[in-house]
This record gives sequence, C-alpha cells and structure tokens, in this order.
Amino acid sequence: MIVSEVPLRVMVVDDHPMWREAVARDLAEAGHEVVATAGEGRTAVRIAAAARPRVAVVDLQLPDISGVEVTRYLAAADPPVRVLVLSASGEQQDVLEAVKAGATGYLLKSAGREEFLDAVRRTADGDAVFTPGLAGLVLGEYRRLAAAPAREDDDAPRLTDRETEVLRLVAKGLTYKQIAQRLVLSHRTVQNHVQNTLGKLQLHNRVELVRYAIEKGLDEED
Amino acid sequence: MADDTTGGTTGLDAALWRSVAVYRALALVYAAVVIGKNSGGYAHPLGGWAVLAVLTVWTGVATLAYRDPARRGWPLLAADLAIAFACILTTAWVETAPHIAAGRPTLPVSWVAAAVLAWAVEGGRRVGVTAALVLGVANLLVHAFAGTAGGMGNTTLNGIVLLFLAGLVVGQVVRLAREAEARLARAVELEAATRERERLARRIHDSVLQVLAMVQRRGGEAGGEAAELGRLAGEQEAALRALIGAGLAPGAGDAPAGVPAPRTGTGPERAADLRPLLTGQASAAVTVSTPATPVPVPEHDAHEIAAAVAAALDNVRRHCGDGARAWVLLEDGPGEVTVSVRDDGPGMPPGRLDAAAADGRLGVEQSIRGRVRDLGGTVSIVSAPGEGTEIEMTVPRASAAFKV
Repeated sequence: MIVSEVPLRVMVVDDHPMWREAVARDLAEAGHEVVATAGEGRTAVRIAAAARPRVAVVDLQLPDISGVEVTRYLAAADPPVRVLVLSASGEQQDVLEAVKAGATGYLLKSAGREEFLDAVRRTADGDAVFTPGLAGLVLGEYRRLAAAPAREDDDAPRLTDRETEVLRLVAKGLTYKQIAQRLVLSHRTVQNHVQNTLGKLQLHNRVELVRYAIEKGLDEED
Repeated sequence: MADDTTGGTTGLDAALWRSVAVYRALALVYAAVVIGKNSGGYAHPLGGWAVLAVLTVWTGVATLAYRDPARRGWPLLAADLAIAFACILTTAWVETAPHIAAGRPTLPVSWVAAAVLAWAVEGGRRVGVTAALVLGVANLLVHAFAGTAGGMGNTTLNGIVLLFLAGLVVGQVVRLAREAEARLARAVELEAATRERERLARRIHDSVLQVLAMVQRRGGEAGGEAAELGRLAGEQEAALRALIGAGLAPGAGDAPAGVPAPRTGTGPERAADLRPLLTGQASAAVTVSTPATPVPVPEHDAHEIAAAVAAALDNVRRHCGDGARAWVLLEDGPGEVTVSVRDDGPGMPPGRLDAAAADGRLGVEQSIRGRVRDLGGTVSIVSAPGEGTEIEMTVPRASAAFKV
C-alpha cells in the first residue's frame, strides 16, 4: 500500500525456493527488512529466536514439522511473532488449525503483490487478515463447537449476533469497507469484530491445550 | 503340488513350526507314560528305554533344527521320518508277540505323527499323506516281523488312518493359510504402493499449484498478454485444487467435479458430504467457502443443492459477464444447511425475476426455487441495481425423512 511506512522485520518460511525468493524480493522492494528465510519448520523456529522478526510469512506445507506447529511456536514466542499464513494448498483443516494455533492472517498465494504487502502490514499492526475462505472455516468452527455436546464446565466460545453477521459478509466476499457501509458501522468496528472472532477461538484453543496438559499430568501422577 | 512352497521367515511359518514342536513335546510325554507303564511286560525293557531316549533326544534336536529356516530342508525331514520309522519298527523286537497281536500301540505311540505334521507343513497335503503312508508301512512291518500279521487288529488300522488324516488335513489347512497370507501380503503391498503414489501425487500437485499460483501472481503484475497467461494459470490452479479436493473426499471420486448430475437408484438415506460438490465449482472467478469438517446431507439432497448452486453461478455468468466474481458460502447450522451465492454484478431491479418468470423464462424459478422447494427449503433473493445479487438457500436436514 504505502511503501514509506516504518520498515518491518519479516521472516519468510517456505520450502519452495521460488516462492521464498519471490516473497523476500517483494518485501525488500517495499522497504521491509527480510531478517531470515527458512525452508524447514525446525530451522524457522530456531532462527526466529535470534532474528526476532515482527511478522513471519509461513507456508503450511513444510518438509519436517508442519506450518501449524511453526505457527504455534512463533505465536508463543516472547515477544510473539505475528504469523501470516501464505498457502497455495486448499487444505482447509490445516488453515483452521494454523489460525487456532495463533496465526492472525491467511492469504492465498495467488493473491497479488499489493494485496500481499498490505496483508503483511496489517498483520504487523495486529489486524486479522481474512479471506472469504477463512471466514467460512471460522464460522464452521464456531458452529461445530456450539453443536458439540456441552460439558459441565462448558466454556466453548460463542459469536455475538453482530460478529456472526460480519463474518458471514466476509465469507460472502464483501470488503470491510462494503460491510461497514451495509451495516452502518465504522471500518475500525468491522475490523474489531473480525479480530474478536479470531481472538476467542485462539483463547479457547489455548485453554483446551492447557486443560489437556493438566489432565495428562494428573493421569501420570496416579 | 505345493512342494516348492518356500519356507521363508514369515510369521505364519514360524507359528506353524512352533505348533509342530509343541505337538512333538506333548506326544513325547505321552510316549514316556506309555513306555513307563508297559515296560514291565516288554521282551526287552532296556530296548524300550533306549527308544524313549532316542525320542527325547530327537525331540530336542528337531525342535531346534526346525526353528531355523535354513536347516528346514529335505535332509532334516527325511531324518525325522526315518527315526519315526525306525522307532516304530523297534516295537517288533521290544514288545512280545502276544502284546502286539492284542493291539498294543507301537512304542512311540502318537509321537510319530510329528513327522507327518512336519512333512505336511513343509510340502502340503500330498507330501503329508506320503509321510503317513511310509509310517503306515512301518506299522504293518511290525506285525510282519513279529509274525502277527494274521492277527492284526483294528487298532493298527486306526493308527494308520489317523496318521493319513493328519497328513491330509494339516497339509490342506497349511496350504489355505499360506494362500490367505500371500493374499494379505499382496493387499498390504498394494495399499503401501497406493499410499506412496498418493503421497507423490500430493507433492507433484503441490509443486504444480505453487508454480501456477506464481504465474498467476507475476502475470497479473506484468499486465498485457502476461496478465492473460496469469488468468489462465489461475483458472488451472483453481481447477486442479478442486480436483484434488474432490479426489480426497470419500465417495466423491466417482462424480466429475463441478458436474453434479442427479444419480439414479440412490436412496435418500445415503449421506454425502456437500463440500466437494460445491468446491468443485470454484474457479478463478468463483470463491467457495465451507466449514473444515464434512457437511453430511442425504445424497439426493446434496446433488440437488449442488445443482441449484450451479444454476445460480450459471446465471451470474450469463447476466453479469465474464468479469463478474461470485462467492459461495456453505454453512452447517443446527438442523439446516444454508448455501449463499453472491455476485458483484450489476444487480437487478426489484420485480425483475417475477417478470422473467411471467415471460416464460424459468431459469431461476425452476432451477433454484423449484429444487430447493422440493427439498422443503426456502430461497431468498436480495438484489438491487449496482449491488450485485445474493441468493440464499436454506434446506432442512430432515427433508429426507419426510420424502421416504
């Protein structure tokens, strides 16, 4: 979008050299600093600690550990690395898992250069970068959680009516601007609604992981 | 004839030979009991104990030797049978003639059947029967040497027949088990090959997708003729991805992607995942969004819904031109399935659809509303000039139950 903004420290994780180079070149031309590139997941996790990127552009299909695992590590790092998933694969379960693991953006590789640079910038700012496909997946996940048999300590996240409305419009291909117009909201409010849907899902996922770890730990003590 | 069946080191073979070894050991115990009980009446009691010693030693040797596939050959089998043969014959010398005439068993009793089992396991039915016949001859010779052939009783005949049956049945069962094992091994091999092929296909597809996406991206940036190439690459990427998606979905492999033809002879009780039927209709201009988990609906309903979506997309192409984009959203609600088709075309003034239907142009009316109504669902169409058109179809999950 605007090249003259503050340059970002970006890491590129992709096992295809062609894409790694192309993405790194686009970022460099836009004035960003590509602090690290990696073709494997473990390498990415290792060098991220030293390179301290603000944003990581991660492909989901990696030869060793999956992009989902890489995302989990990076999002949990201190300071956390914001993850933009850039994937050519339409593997929906993987995309959803990556987002639950902490990725805040998802973009198809076929997206144009401008769209990509804009997505990197927004990811760095902490905005959620959604495609209609991701919105469909997130909607489906909330429905799945709502339909799952409730437990006693049921804390499954729920969408507000407004959040559902916004997410459906994103899934139907409307831009945030169009949504803001249609619902008579500010662009920022639309952005916040979308982000909340992601935040609740990620929080729930972390709680589930902790719960799982505690249950396992208690079992071992028995 | 299964003579050339190689022993190999398969689990089945090891288990079979172990069974023979167990039989041999148990039969040795029985033979020891019988010799201990009868030795008082033997013509040569020491001979009886000597035979027992031979049986014991050979039981140990055979158990160890048969365990090793390399030593499991005809020399060992021949030695096994020869020792059994000799031990039977010794009966004529150890036992008294009256006892033999009275139908007392041979010294090794049922221990000799171990040799028959070994032959049957190694060579199958006919080889097993051959070994049984050899030992049968030994039994007859005992009577011949003892001079009691005239008084040969049913007991001897029973023994021979039992040996014969053991060789026959075990040989046959072993052959069947080996065949079953070979079939299983072939199936496992085939499955591994298929999985490897799928893995390779995924890798290749992934690489191709990456390149197509790159061409699309770069082409779009370069503009002009390259943009056209980029557009073509984008279409191929979408088509290939849809194809892979359809191929991976269970039960979707037999339906050509994007052509949801109603099938005949399928009951409404069969459930189909609606997702691949919709993602198959994705293209560079059509984005399809679905949940990550399957959306099962009765098969007939799935095809009808997919056909309604196809009609809606067809409508978009015809009325909004090639440049128009469309988005399909599949939602899996409690008790119902919602599919929305939105386009960014010029939209329609209100009343246009009714006018079209009145004119006899039944496209939307029949292909979308009619289909969904038949499934017990509802259709809402929202459109305004300049704002595109949005068609939302909601179909209850239970519709199948009412139709049967």
